[in-house]
Amino acid sequence: MSAAPVAVTVDQARCIGSGLCARTAPDALTLAPNGRATPVHPTTAPSDDLTEAAEMCPVEAIAVRNPTTGELLAPVW
Amino acid sequence: MLLRGRCAAYGRVWLPVGSPQSLARRTELTAAAHPEASEAQPLVPLHCLLRAEPGPPRLAALPTGTPVWVLTRHADVRQALAHPGFGRATLYAPDAPPLTLTPNILDDPASMLNSDGPDHQLIRRTVQRAFTPRAIERWRPWVDGVVRELVDDLAASGSPADVVAALTKPLPVRVISRLMELEGLDIDRLGHWSDHALSTTAYTAEEIGTAIGEFSEFGYQLVLARRKNPGEDLVSSLVQAADQTGGVTEAQLTSLTIGLVIAGHETTMTSFGNALVYLLDAEHADAWRRIGEDLSAATAATEQILRTVPLGDRTSAPGQLRRAVTDVEIGGVLIPEGAIIACDSTSANLDPEVYPPGPTDLFAPLGTPSLTFGAGPHHCLGAWLARMELELGLHHLARVLPELRLATPVEDIAWRTGLLTRSPLRLEVAW
Repeated sequence: MSAAPVAVTVDQARCIGSGLCARTAPDALTLAPNGRATPVHPTTAPSDDLTEAAEMCPVEAIAVRNPTTGELLAPVW
Repeated sequence: MLLRGRCAAYGRVWLPVGSPQSLARRTELTAAAHPEASEAQPLVPLHCLLRAEPGPPRLAALPTGTPVWVLTRHADVRQALAHPGFGRATLYAPDAPPLTLTPNILDDPASMLNSDGPDHQLIRRTVQRAFTPRAIERWRPWVDGVVRELVDDLAASGSPADVVAALTKPLPVRVISRLMELEGLDIDRLGHWSDHALSTTAYTAEEIGTAIGEFSEFGYQLVLARRKNPGEDLVSSLVQAADQTGGVTEAQLTSLTIGLVIAGHETTMTSFGNALVYLLDAEHADAWRRIGEDLSAATAATEQILRTVPLGDRTSAPGQLRRAVTDVEIGGVLIPEGAIIACDSTSANLDPEVYPPGPTDLFAPLGTPSLTFGAGPHHCLGAWLARMELELGLHHLARVLPELRLATPVEDIAWRTGLLTRSPLRLEVAW
């Protein structure tokens, strides 16, 4: 069973380049040479690691959404 | 709203990289006015401190004589702080050059601040969740209540009053005590530990060591107590997270706990006090009223003040230190492996490439985030809490006392000196 893919975005103005997300969910997020996080792919498989990465971002620059409805999936807690 | 309008008396706009501030002014007058003050005073208010002109990385020297590349442009500082090619752990490696004349708590190799990569992530992960914007926002009603109470008490005490004793010092202590459930914490004892822990020249190495030892024992006992009887507080949650994850040492947990206590009150008190030195000038009377009338104005002003008013004199280093773990090119300069860099965020925060030069519009949105809280893995954990305390503190003080002004001239302010941060020891205000 494969879950429906989710859309990942990083607000480039907010991102402070902590790198926490890229260490937590390396399949979904990477730290670009400009010191800002960026999604590896615009959409990706949902995972606990990705949810944690979005929830832990120190400046809430990451959003994980349902690509069809736009519903925010993380961070939501 | 001329930020540097009243600072012209303190000289030119930019300071050459690596050169010391000329801090003391009219020493004899202040020595007479404040015989208890041992340091030469008065000192330049923080918002008038000269900064190095933003430019390419330039070589200077630390007070120890160690060569240091000083980064002053916003883009360079931001890039370096987020770059995995620069670290903090190697600053304390056996082959590291001398960095400080008198080490303080920031030089503890067990601390989160002095770890990199996966080691750093392991510790940061135990507390990060409690400090995200939304986690901090949940505290707003409670922080708002504490601020109102302190401000109302200050107003009721009558004019003039010492706003440091009444508000800027107790507010952050109340907040961090609540978060960590340290009710009954002795504020004077905490101040003693904190002043020693952040000392540059105020205390001897022995005095600093003794105070940090006591403070660490306090932190360690707290960790043990919360492990045994966990509650809903921050210490309990970080102990639980660390124990679940595994791999976090007791020394790291203790260091993190006392680090939270210090960081939770010292920097906010400093920022708040220095913000009032800047704002409570006749020149800013209109801005002060607007901050009191409109919370969103207080929010905007808080960001601009955080950007433009430094926390300290940076006499021990010209910026946040990192060491190159590999050759890295920054701002067109190759920084060789093993070299030390200083990220001067106070200069970078005035970089004309990013922020409009000249007078600061206190109510303009920043656009690009300032580097006051740093960037990269060590971006200030408490940034959102500090912002909230400052904006609510300024807003309610200005709301209740819209005519507030300094009761003593800026040049007569007695400062806390010899520490990494500098803020008024007392600040007499009137209305």
